[in-house]
Amino acid sequence: MKRLLSVVVMFSLILMGTVSAQESVIEKIQKQGVIRVGMSTFVPWAMKDKQGKLVGFEIDVARKLAQDMGVKIEFVPTAWSGIIPALLTGKFDVIIGGMGITPERNLKVNFSMPYEYSGMSMVAHKQKAQGFSSVEDFNKKDVRIAVRMGTTAEQATRKYMPKATLKLFENESQALQELSLGRVHAVVSSAPMPVFHALKFPDKLFVPLKENFTKEPIGFAVRKGDHDALNYFNNWIINMDAQGFLKERTAYWFESKKWEDLVK
Amino acid sequence: MSRVKKGIKPFLFILFLLFIFIVGYRNLEYNWQWYRVKPYLFVFENGVLTKGLLLEGLFITLKISSFGLVFSFIIGFVSALARLSTSPVLKALSWIYVETIRNTPLLIQIFLIYFVISPVFDISAFSSAIIALSLFEGAYSSEIIRSGIINIPKGQYEAAQSIGLSVPAIYLKIIIPQMLRQTLPMLAGQSVSLIKDSALVSTISIFDLTMQGQRIVSETFLTFEIWFTVALCYLIITAGLSFIIRQFENRLKFVNQ
Amino acid sequence: MSNKPVLRFGLIDAAAVIVVAVAVSVFFSRVSSVLDYHWNWDAIPSYFFFWDESAGKFTANILVKGFLTTLKLSVWSTVLGFFLGTLSGIMGAKGSFEQRFVSRTYVETIRNIPSLVLVIIFYYFVSSQFLDVLYLDRWLRQSSPEVQSVINFFFSGPDRINSFISAVIALGIYEGAYVSEIVRGGIIAIPHGQWEASWSIGLSRSKAFRLVILPQTFRRVAFPLAGQFISTIKDSAIVSVISIQELTFQGMEVMAATFLTFEVWVTITLLYFVLTFSFSRSVAFLENKYALKQ
Repeated sequence: MKRLLSVVVMFSLILMGTVSAQESVIEKIQKQGVIRVGMSTFVPWAMKDKQGKLVGFEIDVARKLAQDMGVKIEFVPTAWSGIIPALLTGKFDVIIGGMGITPERNLKVNFSMPYEYSGMSMVAHKQKAQGFSSVEDFNKKDVRIAVRMGTTAEQATRKYMPKATLKLFENESQALQELSLGRVHAVVSSAPMPVFHALKFPDKLFVPLKENFTKEPIGFAVRKGDHDALNYFNNWIINMDAQGFLKERTAYWFESKKWEDLVK
Repeated sequence: MSRVKKGIKPFLFILFLLFIFIVGYRNLEYNWQWYRVKPYLFVFENGVLTKGLLLEGLFITLKISSFGLVFSFIIGFVSALARLSTSPVLKALSWIYVETIRNTPLLIQIFLIYFVISPVFDISAFSSAIIALSLFEGAYSSEIIRSGIINIPKGQYEAAQSIGLSVPAIYLKIIIPQMLRQTLPMLAGQSVSLIKDSALVSTISIFDLTMQGQRIVSETFLTFEIWFTVALCYLIITAGLSFIIRQFENRLKFVNQ
Repeated sequence: MSNKPVLRFGLIDAAAVIVVAVAVSVFFSRVSSVLDYHWNWDAIPSYFFFWDESAGKFTANILVKGFLTTLKLSVWSTVLGFFLGTLSGIMGAKGSFEQRFVSRTYVETIRNIPSLVLVIIFYYFVSSQFLDVLYLDRWLRQSSPEVQSVINFFFSGPDRINSFISAVIALGIYEGAYVSEIVRGGIIAIPHGQWEASWSIGLSRSKAFRLVILPQTFRRVAFPLAGQFISTIKDSAIVSVISIQELTFQGMEVMAATFLTFEVWVTITLLYFVLTFSFSRSVAFLENKYALKQ
C-alpha cells in the first residue's frame, strides 16, 4: 500500500513535467471560464472602496476585458515587489496593474502595447521642502524621499535624484504616512496620486514640480513566449482605444475626483 | 535482513526528498542565474575586497540584533525584578508589559512603535527598530529571568542575610550569578530568536539582510537565487551561534558537576 | 523569598504612577501639538460592519473578514503543524539514525531561518510547484454552490484558495518544527520504566509505543501545544507580506484608504490582543486545573 502510494506520487511528479507544456493562456482562460488578474493597490488605479470591493481604472479595464472574453474575473492582490515572480510562477494569468513597460522588466516578461500613459510625479512636505521647485532641488544628499519598493518610481528616483536618500516601503500608504509625519521630504509616485494627495492635505503638502518628470507607457504583462495572448490583448487594446472606452475611463479616474465618494 | 531494510527506507526517503527538490528545480521553467548572486555578496577588484549589498545588510542585522540583545536583557531583568517586588504598581506595570507584548504579533508592534509612538517623540527608524525588538525579546527574557530567580532556594537569601550582606550585594553576588547559570541556555536561545525576528524590521525601511534581499529581487527578479542566499546567510549565523552556545553549555555543565 | 509577599503601596508606587501619568499625558499633548494629528475614531466602526442597503442588513467588512481569515489560517496551520511535528518528533525521539537525521535537519533548518524569509520562499517555490498542479481552484469553481459555501466557510473562496492553502502549508511547516521539539521532549521525558513495564507484559515495541508511551506523551504536551496555537495566531501576521488577506493585511488596506494611522494600528493591536489573550488565559486556567502535577 505504502509502496503503491509512493509510486503514484512519483508518477504524478513526472507527469507534472510534461503537463506544463506550452498552452496559450488564452486557451486556459476560456477552458476554465475565469481570468486571474494580478494587481496591487495603487490609488486610483486599483483600490478598495468603503465596502471592501475593488474599484479603480485597472479594475474597470480588467472587468471589461473579462466581459468581452465572456469569462469571470478574479483579482489576485499581490505585493508589488513580488508581482513579477508571482506571474512567472503562475499565480495568475496576466498583470493588469498599472505596470510601466521598462527594459528591465521586459527581460523577464512580455508586455502588450500600451493602453495608458503615466508619468512620475511628486508630492512634498511644505516645511521640509520649502522653496523646492525642481528635480535638482531634491537631488541632494540630505534630502530623503520615500517610494514604494520595486516600482518605476523607485527607478526614476534613483535615475533623476541619485544623491537623495531613498526610503523603501512595501505599500504606498506607508510612504505617504512618512511624508505626513515629516520624516521625508517627498514621495515620488505615478501620476495622478501625488497631486490628489496634495489636494487632500493642502495645509501640509504641496506639489513641487509643475509637470511629471517622466513619461512611461503602461501595458499588460504576460509570461514570455505566449504570442496568442499578446496578439489578443494588443487587438483588444486597439479596439477599446477606437471605441473611446479607455479615454472615457481615464477621464473618470485620472482627471476627475468624482470617485472620491466611493472611497471615503 | 530486516536491519538492512530499516536502513534503506530512510535512505529512500531522503532520495525521494532530493528527487522532489530536483524535479521542482528543473520543472520550474525558471532561468537560474546563480552567477549573478556573487557581486551582491562581495566584490573582489584590484586586490581589494569590498562587501556587497547582502553583506552590508547582514552587518546591519547583526548591529540591530546586538543592540537589541543588550537592551532586552536590561529590560527583562528590570521587569522581572519589578514583577517580584512587593510594590503593587510596579508588579501591575510589569504584568501589563509582559502580557501585552506576548499577546500581540511582533510585526504589529513594530508598526505601532514606528508609525504611532516614534513620530510623537521624534525617534529615528533605526532606534524604533531597536526599541521594538528589545521590548519584544525583553518580555520573553523577563519570564525566563523571573523563573530563574524564583527557582533559587530560599535558604540562599537567608544565608546571605545572615552574613550581613546588603540587598544590592545579595543580588549582585549571590542571586544574579546563580540565576545566570540556570537560565543561560534559555537566554542564549532567545538571542537566536532575536536575530531571526530582526528580519521583520525590513518592513519599516531598515536596510537589513532581508530588506536588501527584497530590494535586489525587486530590481533584478532573481527571486529564488537571492532568497535562498538570504536564508543561507541567516542559517549560517544562527546555526553557528547555536553551536557556540551548546559548546559553552557543555563546559558549564562540566564545571557544575 | 516568601511565598506570599505582602503588597504595600509605598513611595515607589506613587512615583511609578506619576511617571506613567506624565508619560501618557506628554504623549497625547505631543500628538496634537507637535504632529497636529486629528483623531477620527468615527470612521473605524464601518470597517467592521457596514449597512448594506441592497440587502437591508449589516454586512461584515474587511476587518471582520481579516479577523476570521487569521483565525481560520491559524487553526488549519496548527492542525498541519501538529501532524508534521508529531511525526518528526517521534522520528527524532525514537527513530533510526536516518530518521533522526531527517527530523533534525527539518527542525534545525526551520528554526534557524526567519519566518519572513521562509514564508516568501514557500510562497514562490513550494506552492507554485506542488499546489497549482492540483487544480484545487478549478475544481472548486466547478463544484456546486453548497460545496463552495462550505469550503468558503472553513477555508476560503475559489479566488483565494490557492494562496490560502500555500499560507497554511508555509505556516504549518514552520510551526511543525516547534511542535516537533515539544513532542520529542515529551517522549524523552517518559520514564524508561514505562517501556520496561509494557515489554514485561508482552507488548511489542511498536505496540508499547502506541498504547503506552504516546498517550502519556500527549497528556504531557497538551498545554505546550495549546501555547503553540497561540504563537501561530501571532506568527500568522507575517503572511500579510505574501498578500494573504488576513487581519494585518486588511489593516494596511484600511490605512491606505483612510490614512488614519493611529486609529487603525491601535485597533489592529487590540484585536490581536483580545484574540490571543483570551486564548492564553483560558489555556492557563485549564492548565492550573488539569495539568499533570509532577
